[in-house]
Amino acid sequence: MFLAIKEIKHEKMRYGLIVFMIFLISYMILATWGLAYGLARENTVALENWQAKSVVLNKNANLSMNSSILTKDDLKKIDLTDQDAVVGEIQVVLKKSGKTGINAQYMGVRKSEFAYKEQKLVSGRKATGKYEVTADESLKNKGYKLGDQVTLNGSSHKYKIVGFVQDAKINIEPIIYGSLANWKKLKNAMPTIAASGVISKRSRSVKGKNYKSYGIKQFIKKLPGYSAQNLTFELMIAFMFIISLMIVGVFLYILTIQKLPNYAVLRAQGIPAKTLVWATISQSLLLTVAGLAIALLAIWGTAAAMPSSAPMAFTGQIFASAIGGMLAMALIGGLIPVKTILKIDPVAAIGG
Amino acid sequence: MTAVEIKNVKKVYGKGDAATVALKGVNFEANLGEVVLLMGPSGAGKSTLLTIIGALQSATSGTVKIDGQDITQLKEKDRSRLRLNKLGFVLQAYNLVPYLTVQEQFQLLDRVKKSGNLSQADLKGLLEDLGISGLVNKYPGELSGGQKQRAAIARAMYANPEILLADEPTASLDSARVEEVGQLFKKLAKDRQKAIILVTHDPRLEKYADHIYDMMDGQLTQRK
Repeated sequence: MFLAIKEIKHEKMRYGLIVFMIFLISYMILATWGLAYGLARENTVALENWQAKSVVLNKNANLSMNSSILTKDDLKKIDLTDQDAVVGEIQVVLKKSGKTGINAQYMGVRKSEFAYKEQKLVSGRKATGKYEVTADESLKNKGYKLGDQVTLNGSSHKYKIVGFVQDAKINIEPIIYGSLANWKKLKNAMPTIAASGVISKRSRSVKGKNYKSYGIKQFIKKLPGYSAQNLTFELMIAFMFIISLMIVGVFLYILTIQKLPNYAVLRAQGIPAKTLVWATISQSLLLTVAGLAIALLAIWGTAAAMPSSAPMAFTGQIFASAIGGMLAMALIGGLIPVKTILKIDPVAAIGG
Repeated sequence: MTAVEIKNVKKVYGKGDAATVALKGVNFEANLGEVVLLMGPSGAGKSTLLTIIGALQSATSGTVKIDGQDITQLKEKDRSRLRLNKLGFVLQAYNLVPYLTVQEQFQLLDRVKKSGNLSQADLKGLLEDLGISGLVNKYPGELSGGQKQRAAIARAMYANPEILLADEPTASLDSARVEEVGQLFKKLAKDRQKAIILVTHDPRLEKYADHIYDMMDGQLTQRK
């Protein structure tokens, strides 16, 4: 460590540039990963917010909430508790006069259930009147405000936005929360139709003539475009990750190779090989930790500054993988030249 | 007292038709308190002999004793320990670690050799003898050629070795500095009872030597 720190302190510009390069690579990995996860999360944020573990849908709906229909009879047979919420979902085009339409998901809910009660209001209030709705807060950035009167799918009635809520997106589209009765109207549903499905906070296993329960992971996988989009991002990130880490490893290797003449002199003087090996590995780790620390700070600032239209989100697993991968490459970059260091011929220091 | 004793040492590089004989049965001795010069043209085998005395490589045959210990069969790890404890090197190039100040060159030795190094008082005296006591916080790149050479000598002496090996120590020095370095080696050998072996082309160092050996085509003859 002594040699490692002294060299870094003496060669500030050189090592500063290497730290800068490691910072850029770490930042690029984290930013891309954060954006990909942020986008993926836009598909499922409402489900996360509900803490949903399973859904009950019409078994012929191919796991699509929009296509699913449950009858009043079906609902009677499904044992419902306060851990369950009956919802009616339909894709709508929301529009107010003078604005272009916005694709959204209308979510009809019951006032007595968690899908209504647990809405996280950021402004306004929950919908209580017949034609009142609450909407995802992203609509605020699109020019909508409290009190706006909007049409849904060109409806004859106007709906009033009385509140904006947090984390109300599904399949990248904002959710408009309203009543189940209005969902039926929007859906032109028969009187026997009661809802699209049931969202449950518990892992349910129910099966009837028309309905069936599914685990939330299975449901998310089937969200339109979700799996294809995620697979593309995952492969892109994996390639970038591997290539970037190899670049870091090669850089650290070159750095060590450049020091071999000095190491030959030190070996000639009897400095043990393990001292030089540790100097190399500890220097690689120090440089990487410094680059990573700056990247983490920068990504924290970037994530806070990103507009909601390009959300950036992270999990502990993303940070752990990025940090672990970079440190592993630093270690490998420092370890590859170990054999060379151990084989240094100290005679090279004298020549002759 | 004999510090280095070499008997009938041969060194052959390569094998078969490609074999090159660098040393042809060399006998050599250096005692504590003496300065010994190894002189001769390039390619004569001086540096090969220096690297064998310095435990940097092994002889093909013959006996090499350092401080009475036969080092011929030592493994690299033991030879490395021997270099650290009993031998000091002053080399032509890459003599000092470029990113360590003069003081830090000593600190590095403290870290790998926990005992037996000079005390701080002795170091102070050595640096004053060498005339570099005011340069301890300088990096090698900030020193002149002569100052670098003296700093390298100080570092080699700091581990308190019995034997100091120097390869062309005056190669980059002007005449005045050569005289200074010559006197310094003489003083270190006498005052501190070291065996100092200098490989050199420089005849200006001859007057400071107790013994002079000439190397020619792998054979050594004692001139003085």
